[in-house]
Amino acid sequence: MALLEIEDLHVSFRTLDGVVKAVSGVTLALDSRKTLGIVGESGSGKSVTAQSVIGLTRFPNATITGRILYDGRDLVGMPTDELRDIRGARIAMIFQDPLSSLHPFFRVGHQIVEAIRTHEDVPREAAKKRTIEALRSVGIPSPEERFDSFPHEMSGGMRQRAMIAMALALRPDVLIADEPTTALDVTVQAQVLELIQAMRDDFGTAVILITHDLGVVAQMCDDVAVMYAGRVLEYAARETLFTAPQHPYTWGLLESIPRLDAPRAERLSPIAGSPPSLINVPRGCTFHPRCPYTPPEALESEPELAESEPGHLVRCHLSVEERKSLWQSLLQEHPVLM
Amino acid sequence: MGAYIVRRVLWAIVLLLVVSFLTFVIFDVFPSADPAVLRAGRNATPSLIQQIRVNLGLDKPFYTQYWLYLKGLVTHFDLGYSYYNSESVRSEIFSRLPATVSVTVGGFIVWMLIGIPVGIVSAIRPRSILDRSLMGGALVAISAPVYFLGLVSLFLFAKGTGQLQWFGAAGSYVPISQNPGQWFNSLVLPWVTLAAAFAAFYARMTRGNLIDVMGEDYIRTARAKGLPESRVIGKHGLRAALTPIVTMAGLDVGLLLGGAILTEIVFNIPGVGRYAYNAITNSDLPAIQGTVLFGAFFVVFANLVVDILYAFLDPRVKYG
Amino acid sequence: MRRQVVVVAGLAAGLLAFVAAGCGGGGSTSGVQGASHTLVQGKKGGTITILSEGDIDHLDPGAAYYQFTYAITYVTQRPLLAYKPNSIQPVPDLATSMPTVSKDGKTVTVHIRHGIKFSPPVNREVTSADVKYAIERGFDAAVGNGYATAYFGVIQGAPTKIGNTVPNISGIQTPDKYTIVFKLSKPSGIFVSALQEPLTAPVPADYARKYDKGTQSSYGNHEVATGPYMVRNNASGKITGYTPGRQIVLVRNPNWNPKTSWRPAYADRIVFREGFDPTVATKQILSGQGDANGDFPPPAANLKQIVSNSSQKGQLEFTPTPGSRFVALNTQKPPFNNKLVRMAVAYVLDRNAMRLTRGGPIDGKIATHFISPDFGSHGFNQAGGFGYNPFPSANESGDVAKAQSLLKEAGFTSGKYTGPQITQVADNSPPGSNTAAVVANSLEKIGFNVKTISVQHSAMYTRFCGVPKNAPNICPNVGWISDFHEPQADLDANFNGKNILPANNVNWSQFNDPQVNALMAKAEVELNSAKRWSEWGQVDQLITKNAAAIPWLWEESPTLYSTRVTHASELWNGGEPDVSFMSVK
Repeated sequence: MALLEIEDLHVSFRTLDGVVKAVSGVTLALDSRKTLGIVGESGSGKSVTAQSVIGLTRFPNATITGRILYDGRDLVGMPTDELRDIRGARIAMIFQDPLSSLHPFFRVGHQIVEAIRTHEDVPREAAKKRTIEALRSVGIPSPEERFDSFPHEMSGGMRQRAMIAMALALRPDVLIADEPTTALDVTVQAQVLELIQAMRDDFGTAVILITHDLGVVAQMCDDVAVMYAGRVLEYAARETLFTAPQHPYTWGLLESIPRLDAPRAERLSPIAGSPPSLINVPRGCTFHPRCPYTPPEALESEPELAESEPGHLVRCHLSVEERKSLWQSLLQEHPVLM
Repeated sequence: MGAYIVRRVLWAIVLLLVVSFLTFVIFDVFPSADPAVLRAGRNATPSLIQQIRVNLGLDKPFYTQYWLYLKGLVTHFDLGYSYYNSESVRSEIFSRLPATVSVTVGGFIVWMLIGIPVGIVSAIRPRSILDRSLMGGALVAISAPVYFLGLVSLFLFAKGTGQLQWFGAAGSYVPISQNPGQWFNSLVLPWVTLAAAFAAFYARMTRGNLIDVMGEDYIRTARAKGLPESRVIGKHGLRAALTPIVTMAGLDVGLLLGGAILTEIVFNIPGVGRYAYNAITNSDLPAIQGTVLFGAFFVVFANLVVDILYAFLDPRVKYG
Repeated sequence: MRRQVVVVAGLAAGLLAFVAAGCGGGGSTSGVQGASHTLVQGKKGGTITILSEGDIDHLDPGAAYYQFTYAITYVTQRPLLAYKPNSIQPVPDLATSMPTVSKDGKTVTVHIRHGIKFSPPVNREVTSADVKYAIERGFDAAVGNGYATAYFGVIQGAPTKIGNTVPNISGIQTPDKYTIVFKLSKPSGIFVSALQEPLTAPVPADYARKYDKGTQSSYGNHEVATGPYMVRNNASGKITGYTPGRQIVLVRNPNWNPKTSWRPAYADRIVFREGFDPTVATKQILSGQGDANGDFPPPAANLKQIVSNSSQKGQLEFTPTPGSRFVALNTQKPPFNNKLVRMAVAYVLDRNAMRLTRGGPIDGKIATHFISPDFGSHGFNQAGGFGYNPFPSANESGDVAKAQSLLKEAGFTSGKYTGPQITQVADNSPPGSNTAAVVANSLEKIGFNVKTISVQHSAMYTRFCGVPKNAPNICPNVGWISDFHEPQADLDANFNGKNILPANNVNWSQFNDPQVNALMAKAEVELNSAKRWSEWGQVDQLITKNAAAIPWLWEESPTLYSTRVTHASELWNGGEPDVSFMSVK
């Protein structure tokens, strides 16, 4: 039984311009000790999905339907008071920009202590000790001094480590990391990812890693979901996604990654067009305006997310054979995709 | 920080010198009444007027007068004597300061106690009926002039003149040491009148700041940590939203300590503001100089205090 | 003259009523029906509260020169002569009887009462030397008396140049402890009347000299009293009852002997509370929180309400202000150096509209010459009374046709003025600014292009209209309050050619007519009152006909009383409440 199951999640927001359908029917599962990656462009609905797990999208203008099962309980219908017990303690979340995500006026140690004492009745001194240990365990030097630092007094990488320490201080079952490395330098990115991996191994935490960077996915994730316009377009194990992807969007993503070992003269190949408006979603397959291989059905009806092979789900009108053969021809054109 | 404070204090002194000089110049250049003639009386002979002119030092050239004034100010803290009734300007201002402080500080407390909670409540439920009516009311309160509000409150609530005889009449102010009950009763309406516009303004500011802050990422983190909503708003939200407001309030208080003139006039409170008004009507230069300098001093001082305070409240701010 | 007898119910011992006397010729002087200056018996005790907007000018009787201040000065100090509230005729106060004047008019003798004592801490008996010192100190710039030279400069030995010392004036002689003999350099028709000025109230030299030293006298902070009341002080004499701009507290003078005075002094305590907004203070008086207004008229809107309210209008008394408001035309430069042009202006001014800017008929009578109705037989009647109006028009709204014909006579053939722009310097705040606007408006009807420069009231006087060098063509907001009911005090300063000064000039028209000057010089030395008043009556007519200044209002001051006190408006002082005659009911 999966640790966390998202079933047919729909999240929409009523705005002055219309109803924004941020998430339209996402179904995912996370097993314990596994890392699930969610990949997609901006506006694909990956952050909204992740935040909805712990109810951070419960705004007055939001409509949330579907189920999110955790530990046998449905988080979508759960009252916020109950959900708060789960937030931070059982399911923790870290965000993209640690500078803006930490309160600028409170010391870092204080913010971590606060996280601990919200869920556990621990005297301040004990919480402080645990915090210092947590800071040490994420590789922050001189944690006793760093306890009293303000967020702006730390480097970007150190800040993110501190956020990770805060998130894992209470040993949650699930860590949701929303683009944890996007705001960091490349060199620091690798360190932070390693850190998340180490924490996962040490504490047995399941991780949902949201990113637009396929490189990160390749490094860390066991399974990958590719999202677009609020939907999952493809779901597969990491190996499969990178070696035998079956969705034109995924192909486009893989193609568009610049490679150091590519011939110099070769141009970058982005996917033509831009993501659709989430208010006026195109009829039929949401990807079809940008798809080079649009079959006629794609204009009329939206394809279902169907299993093409065990554990490999694809939402596309093209037949499995068609997709496999298209992928083979792409491989021939661009050997670098391997 | 120490070097910063020293620098600011020196700059403040320069500023006050400039202010006093400008006041002198303005009084000299613009057509106001001739103090010697006012003092002498309307039937007076030229001989009397001339002698009074000499007695008041008005026959000396402008820069000599200014220099003498500065000398007295710096060496004895002597602000000169009123042209109108020969009273020491310094003793007049100091004796009136407690009344102005009473009005200002009391008003400040009232407007903060009303404005900030109203702003918070409005921010928590933006665009609700409660929010709209509170902010609408705030707009009305800001628009009504102090003088008008003061008169209306006197004619509604003051003993003698009001429909409901609840609070002290105009002119009933006494120092707190003399009769705390009457002191308080005489200040309720002035406080509310003074506070009305400020409370409204601060309510709108608090609402705006808090709404902005509540959209910040660190609020999301606080929620993600599982903090109760009261803590998210009350500690994380307010701390950030109120910091600029507290500093603004400091500046407003500094300004008002120079004399909440309109409030003091309509309620007949013997404060520095009222004294300034009389001084202007009587073309009483030493008194005008004194009140202007005092007002400037409070503003400059408040600015300094507020800037230092801000450095403590916002750890990102550092002064070299 | 109307006689009114008022019976006050509930009094045990008989009734005492003082009849309104000298209320001016022909008809009531008050603009509305109401109590007119009748005095009633009161009872001892209680506190009376007077509300004011501004402050007094000086406590020092040697410096005080303001109607409002006199409400305090005359009940705390005893000049040689003083007034009962319902009369314009001075009567002896410190003096035993009216002064006697020698045949040649150059010697005036006054006897003062025995046994009058100064208040604590001086406590000793008043002597003639104290009166001599009081008048002499008026010539010391440190005291700064504004009228000393005008009324007492005629005494032999009075200095012409004012310095910072109290001069010894040889013409004030004290042959014994209770007699003062004034030797004058020439006869003066008004000298006796001038003896009611507070300058003649005794000041103890031994006590006051130390305070009069230097450039600013501080006697006002330490003054002693001779009247029924005194400003509260401490044992060493320092005044504690005066907080400038805030309040003045009068308490009974323990050394005052009621048998030596005609003042009843009913109340035990009088408090002057200052700094009020007139609208607020008016409401407070109506609700009994204050007892009378000291230095402001109730605003016009409130006045109208009170007058039309039958239960309230009895609380209001109107008193004529001696003197008049007028528009001064600068006779020293074109176009108003031409008498015909001036007369045209006198015809065209809409005096009715001007009066409306101050509240309309409730504010007083439209003035047709300068001496006001309250002077009565002291010159008003002799100037022709209400009947003398050389520039009449229907409803006093101005006669454009007549003005035009005068302009034609003056050479403006179209009947409209065609010369350059003229300027007026006016008040920058109402009602003065409104009055000035009406003046400009009237003048524009006959072709004038009027530029109005608006300045603060006191600047208007002291920097523009009062300085001939800077004087504009018109000063529309001027006026004069006569110090006492002798026409000389009303007309001399404004219209005698010898009084044109380079600064603090109050002869705003710079009027200098030899015929009028000569007549004034004659009247100044005329000791026979009837003759003197007749001569001044002529002077008034001559000045009015000349149109150098155009009178437009004989103002009446409203005094509002609370229902808890009796009324006592000072007829001689523009309606100020006489707190020594008022009583708590």
